[in-house]
Amino acid sequence: MTARLLFSPDMKLKRQVRLPGGGGERGRKMLSLLAGGLIAAAAPLAAQTNAAPSRDPLMSLMLSQPRLEIPALTTATAEFDPPVVRPGEPSFLRVTFNALEDSVEWPATIAGPPGLELRPGAHGQMLKVSGVNFEPYTAFNTRAQAARPGAFVVPEFVVRINGQPVTVPSARLEVAATVPASVPPRLPLTLELPRTNLFVGQAVMARMVLAGRPGNAIHGLAQPQLTGPGFLVDGTTSRQRVEAVTQNGGSVLSFIYETTFIPLTAGRLTVQAQGFMASSRLSPPAASPGATVIPPPIVQYTLIESDPLELNVRPLPREGELPGFTGAIGHFRIGPPQLGTNALRVGEPVNLTVTLTNYGDAPLARVTPPPPPQTRDWQVFATADFAPVQPIGPPPPSAPPHAGAPPPSPELHGVLTFSYILIPLTETATATPPIPFSYYDPRRGAYADLTIPGVPVKVKVGAAPGDYASLARAAATEADPEKAPELSRLADARGRTASSLTPPQQRAWFPLVQLAPAAAFLGIWAWDRRRRYQEAHPDVVRRRRARRALRRQRRLLRRAARAADAPRFAAAAVNALRTACAPHYPAEPRALVGGDVLPLLPATGPSDRAGEVVRRFFAATDAARFSPNPASVAELLSLQPELEQVLAALEEKL
Amino acid sequence: MTRRPAFPRRARFVLLLAGLLAGWPLRAAPSPEALFQAGVRAYRAADYARAAEAFRQSAARQPAAGTLLNLGNAEWQRRQTGAAILAWEQAQWLHPFDPAARQNLRYARKAARLEAPELAWYEVISTWLPVAWWAWLAGGSFWMAISAAMLPGVFRRRKATWHQAVAAFGFMVFLLCVPAYIGVQTRSRLGFILPPNTPLRLTPTHEAQTVTRLAAGEPARCLRTRGRFVLVRASRTLGWVERAQLGRICPASD
Repeated sequence: MTARLLFSPDMKLKRQVRLPGGGGERGRKMLSLLAGGLIAAAAPLAAQTNAAPSRDPLMSLMLSQPRLEIPALTTATAEFDPPVVRPGEPSFLRVTFNALEDSVEWPATIAGPPGLELRPGAHGQMLKVSGVNFEPYTAFNTRAQAARPGAFVVPEFVVRINGQPVTVPSARLEVAATVPASVPPRLPLTLELPRTNLFVGQAVMARMVLAGRPGNAIHGLAQPQLTGPGFLVDGTTSRQRVEAVTQNGGSVLSFIYETTFIPLTAGRLTVQAQGFMASSRLSPPAASPGATVIPPPIVQYTLIESDPLELNVRPLPREGELPGFTGAIGHFRIGPPQLGTNALRVGEPVNLTVTLTNYGDAPLARVTPPPPPQTRDWQVFATADFAPVQPIGPPPPSAPPHAGAPPPSPELHGVLTFSYILIPLTETATATPPIPFSYYDPRRGAYADLTIPGVPVKVKVGAAPGDYASLARAAATEADPEKAPELSRLADARGRTASSLTPPQQRAWFPLVQLAPAAAFLGIWAWDRRRRYQEAHPDVVRRRRARRALRRQRRLLRRAARAADAPRFAAAAVNALRTACAPHYPAEPRALVGGDVLPLLPATGPSDRAGEVVRRFFAATDAARFSPNPASVAELLSLQPELEQVLAALEEKL
Repeated sequence: MTRRPAFPRRARFVLLLAGLLAGWPLRAAPSPEALFQAGVRAYRAADYARAAEAFRQSAARQPAAGTLLNLGNAEWQRRQTGAAILAWEQAQWLHPFDPAARQNLRYARKAARLEAPELAWYEVISTWLPVAWWAWLAGGSFWMAISAAMLPGVFRRRKATWHQAVAAFGFMVFLLCVPAYIGVQTRSRLGFILPPNTPLRLTPTHEAQTVTRLAAGEPARCLRTRGRFVLVRASRTLGWVERAQLGRICPASD
């Protein structure tokens, strides 16, 4: 016995029951019951599967879009816009293709005629409606400028598209002193920024203005974008409108596109705006039998671009950064915090709302709320949904300025609301915790404090569970984190100076400086050693002194001999003899007599000439000193050679 | 006899005048103090590139702790993390008591998620005083101990207790200075990576395999040099980097 449920392709349930062997009445009943139950169980499934299958709406939307039709034959156009300019005025060589931009191998430079300066400009792609399909439309602009009048022709050149060569036709530019009135002027796209000196991260509203032609003809701008390196465009804040703009004393309706521009890198940035200007052209009505058919207008797109804008972007100073800085740059004020209630119980959440009023021209969309503080008595959570409002005009009543604060200026640009959920952890809390917040004011060039002040509250003991105590303890430990380091202020003075960063021990003069005391100590040691030696050997000192004294006396006697001063010559000779003999005894030289000198004389033979000379000198000097009638000593001068020999012999013995 | 032409004398005069004129700019070169003040003015006008250049020139003429601190600040504002950390380390090298350089290093390393150099115990001791002090302390204490031990005997003075105390104190200070002295010597081989994502190469060639890439401001210890490359030990790696990519605390010490 088998029972099968079969689903037909159209999802209808069929029942097929086959009874082997014919079966009896009881068996039929049982089968009918079983089949009835199965059918009852399968009924809801059948009801579900019988419903018509629904399509994915996104898929349906995609399928309903026209197809992208890439033409088999790629065509190129080239023209100057405007075709006639004055000398020095820019014109744009616009080359268009009915191909995707990525498939075009556009040359880096285009060869132009002499006198015509060509520089690469904007390029872009869009899809335009062609019949029931989309067709790619790619444009490359080349900025052209000529300083002198004349006709300049950019010759045709070949560009490879999808690997196939496509010839770009030649284009002609007339440069003349006067432009004919029949030539329409180029519609300028203007890029405006509130200032060109910005800080990194400073959001400003960039404005692209496409002025209309006189007569209130308006042109739209498709795919407006800012091109260049080093910045971010926040497309979520983009908006566009048509506004009357004063131009040449008259008012023209202009297309205005605004978006948030945020520089990301410091230095000089070049920004340029570009977009496809849309202009519609009406076709002549077609007359058909019985009716006049007005065909839909043909929309033409033209890639236009603004002049490049030079920006000077500086990094935010780290010096003087205040707590709670989240990157807000501009001019803000903060309203008084609004607390849900001032009477709280431990563990009960309360909502704190703060309004931030923008008094500058910076968009508020990029302002990040300050992070919730870690405190001992509170648990604070920041709510994710803060609602930026962008009114133009006076501040709303919900954001009254501080007491004593200056009245809001007409520059008011928006209000932003921050919300926090605060939970008191202890009944000792008397006020909500201040939430540090600050911003950088580029007008003053300094950070400004916008700390959200605390609001007085009364916290009662609530029916809080016991685990709030542990939460409070955890909050207490988190509330005392290590103080976050920050960049120091600039040093006002040079401070401790050095001749070099190299340590002294690595410099060449340092070992010499260390050798100086070593040399001094070596000298002291040598001097001490010598002194001790002399103390141990006094005869050496006596002989040295005797030699010195002998040389002195010999100089005296020679001087006296040259002067023929016989008494002084004799006295010096005797003194020299005594000095030379004194160390041998040892004795005081003045105490020696001639007999003391004689034994020390070298043996000179039987004549004893040396002894004779000594005796004569001593006798003459003794007579000169003690005799009442001393004899003349003049003849002693003739004995100088013998005396010198005696003294030399005595000196040798010293 | 022919008269010698006057040209050589004139030429000598012209050469002398040219020499004087050539020497004039040297004498009129701005002083380190003037460059420092110019850097402060440029910094306050947010012209950080000019401020950094002025501080760098001032520090090159005469290194000073305040100049190097400001140079670090200016480089940090220019987002030159490696150069900023090097300047602050040099400021601390000269003046370890200055809390500003220490605070800036902590701040920068926290912001850039960099590690401080790992120092041995004797290198840590060497950071307690300015580097130049250790050499003078070691030399002075050594010779003071020698004098106190030797001179009384030489001059035949009776050795007093204070002589021995001075000698013992001198030797003690000398022995304490020796590890710090060695620490200064080894710390002088520290350097910091200047450009971001600096390749650490396996061999000292431009075609070498890159072992890893080092972040700007990462510390490295120089082991030896070979041509334009330096063998460095980074936190856990060993490899070669180009000389210009490594800023040494002591640029002159090799």
